[in-house]
Amino acid sequence: MTNVAQEIHVESGEAAEAVAADPAKKSSSGWLYRFSVGWLIIVVGITILGWLFGDSLPGLKDPTEIDPTNLAAGPSWSNIFGTATFGQDVFSQVVEGGQISLLVGFSVTVIGIGVGGGMGLVAGYYRGWVDSLVRIIINVTLSIPALLLVIFIVTIRGQSLITVIGALSLLAIPALARIVRASTLQVADREYVKAAQVLGVKRTSILFREVLPNVMPTMVSFAFLTTGIIIVVEGTLSFLGLSVEAPTITWGKIIAEGRNQFAETPHMVAMPSLVIFFTVLSLNFVGDQLLKRYDIREAGIS
Amino acid sequence: MIGIIVLLAFVALCVWIVRAAGWRFALKRLGGALVVLVIVTFAVSVMLQFTSGDESTRQALDELGVSRNAQPCITALGTAATDVDRVNECVDDRNLDDNVVVQYVKWAKQIVWDRDLGLAFYRNEELLSDELRQRMPRTAWLFLYSQLLALIIAVPLGIWSAYQAGRPGRRSLPSWLLPLGVGLLLLIGLVGGWKLTSVFAIAVLIPVGIFHFFKGGRQADTATNFLAFALLSIPVFVLGESLRYAFAIERDWYTLLPGYEPWSAGVGAHIGSIWLEALVLGLAAAPVYLRLLRADMIQNLQQDFVSVAKAKGMSNTHILLRHVLRPSTVTLITVLGLNIAQLVNGAIVVEFIYDFDGMGSYLIAAFARREFFAVQTLVALVAAIFILTNTVIDVLYTAVDPRVKADDDR
Repeated sequence: MTNVAQEIHVESGEAAEAVAADPAKKSSSGWLYRFSVGWLIIVVGITILGWLFGDSLPGLKDPTEIDPTNLAAGPSWSNIFGTATFGQDVFSQVVEGGQISLLVGFSVTVIGIGVGGGMGLVAGYYRGWVDSLVRIIINVTLSIPALLLVIFIVTIRGQSLITVIGALSLLAIPALARIVRASTLQVADREYVKAAQVLGVKRTSILFREVLPNVMPTMVSFAFLTTGIIIVVEGTLSFLGLSVEAPTITWGKIIAEGRNQFAETPHMVAMPSLVIFFTVLSLNFVGDQLLKRYDIREAGIS
Repeated sequence: MIGIIVLLAFVALCVWIVRAAGWRFALKRLGGALVVLVIVTFAVSVMLQFTSGDESTRQALDELGVSRNAQPCITALGTAATDVDRVNECVDDRNLDDNVVVQYVKWAKQIVWDRDLGLAFYRNEELLSDELRQRMPRTAWLFLYSQLLALIIAVPLGIWSAYQAGRPGRRSLPSWLLPLGVGLLLLIGLVGGWKLTSVFAIAVLIPVGIFHFFKGGRQADTATNFLAFALLSIPVFVLGESLRYAFAIERDWYTLLPGYEPWSAGVGAHIGSIWLEALVLGLAAAPVYLRLLRADMIQNLQQDFVSVAKAKGMSNTHILLRHVLRPSTVTLITVLGLNIAQLVNGAIVVEFIYDFDGMGSYLIAAFARREFFAVQTLVALVAAIFILTNTVIDVLYTAVDPRVKADDDR
């Protein structure tokens, strides 16, 4: 991205504008949406099954098991993603790597929505010094390239799962805070919020009962977009050899490993790359569709 | 000499900004930029404190007869750290015995006042400014070419897509044919081998796609949008790795070995040594521009001035290029500025993949060798460039479009 904050910013601005004034909105993308959701369910389902049952599951093997009869073989029925240099099953590696990659993606998003969303909500609704503070935090984080910051933190604090999640959260929090703040500013300006204020409803209860439910759809959509971006950044980190340390497998690490013997094992690069690509594409697509589907302004007009 | 030119340029810039945007606004923006810059660099300094190790490391160092805070110097020096004098010299040089604030102020003074960027690598005592002078042009050219490529791809497609979005849909191929086609491709690939697949793709699918695309109407917009989405979802390292395989390993269209050639080596050699990297970065940046330009132009197309121009009998091309594209250019420039951070990320990955000796691969090397002092300076440098560019663009934006100033509180 990838600069997360900026990418999200671009997408948010684009999406909001596109929805407001896009005559081609009702395009025939229903099947794509269903396709994306289906793919996500498959990926998450297989990953969770692999985590629960390990290699006792049919089709899954021990990802470190060496098979001397089947070295660096292309995709076949027994190893649908092919095998690595020493005959390890790439499909099992991808399933196991997905556990870390998806875990990082989801937990960072949850932290980002929780902390960043909260920050944005408070800043956008109460304004004042909280808002100034949040804006400074957002500007500061935006002015360092995301990957640089993450690499910096990871090299200083050591390459553990917690550090990686923490460093990536540091990217997601201000990015989401920015979006939620913008969305809150919009919602707080609307008639029903003003009506509630005039009626003398307490500000906290306006925040939770009027503003939050209307900001929620934006938050959920951007949760999907953020997860996609974070998966890419985590993949980049492990590709550069800077993510979680050695025995743990991640998607980026399989690619980095296959890259070293590209001539023998091109499928080791291609297969995880395709999985990452389709997962991120699906996440982007679902997020975008949700954004269009639950756009509040649009619903209010028609 | 260079210093004087930079100073003059800076003064000219300030004068221009003040003239264009007014005192209050310019001061507010510049002040804000300065505050952000100070916070960023200070935060980096604070984070560097974590490299000093815990209490037990400090005690061990104390017993060895060097400063308690020498850990960063020892990691930076590596094997040369057995020489106590060099460690002490380094500690002295980086002011490690002072507290964070004093360290930060001394560091800032060294950079701003003495214009001394420090050492690139402590181990062999290369100067960072030499390293920068050697590597900076490479990355700068890379950035320039990649952005040009991205704009060349994105601007025509964006205009086309925005124009088609407003037109009625035509009877065309149903969109579910796409997964069917891809599925068919996979089937053919599995049964008949991959060569047959590529023949089939080039002979049947791509002509159909191009026909579908140029027929126009709403579907063309959907197709372009989908393309942008797909491109946006490909991680840079996947893109770089596949293009490297396709053009540098399978075919000899790009030669990895001689590395970067400057302009003085001839235009052909220069472009030939950089085009693939620029293409990767350009392809990664193109969808961002494309989507933004499209959204912006669709919005502009619904303004009253378009109807007026239409009523006056102006041609569609004229309206699109002169009345609609022009206001959208401002947005495009803003994103160009914001994209610098993105580009640094991309450069790190691309330079790593292609062994391109630019700033990105230097950063990776510096991290790998735990040379945090140079990294600190570089992070500050990148942040400074980013903040300065964006402040200038911000003000430029205001000078062109006064609505921004009125909307400043948001």
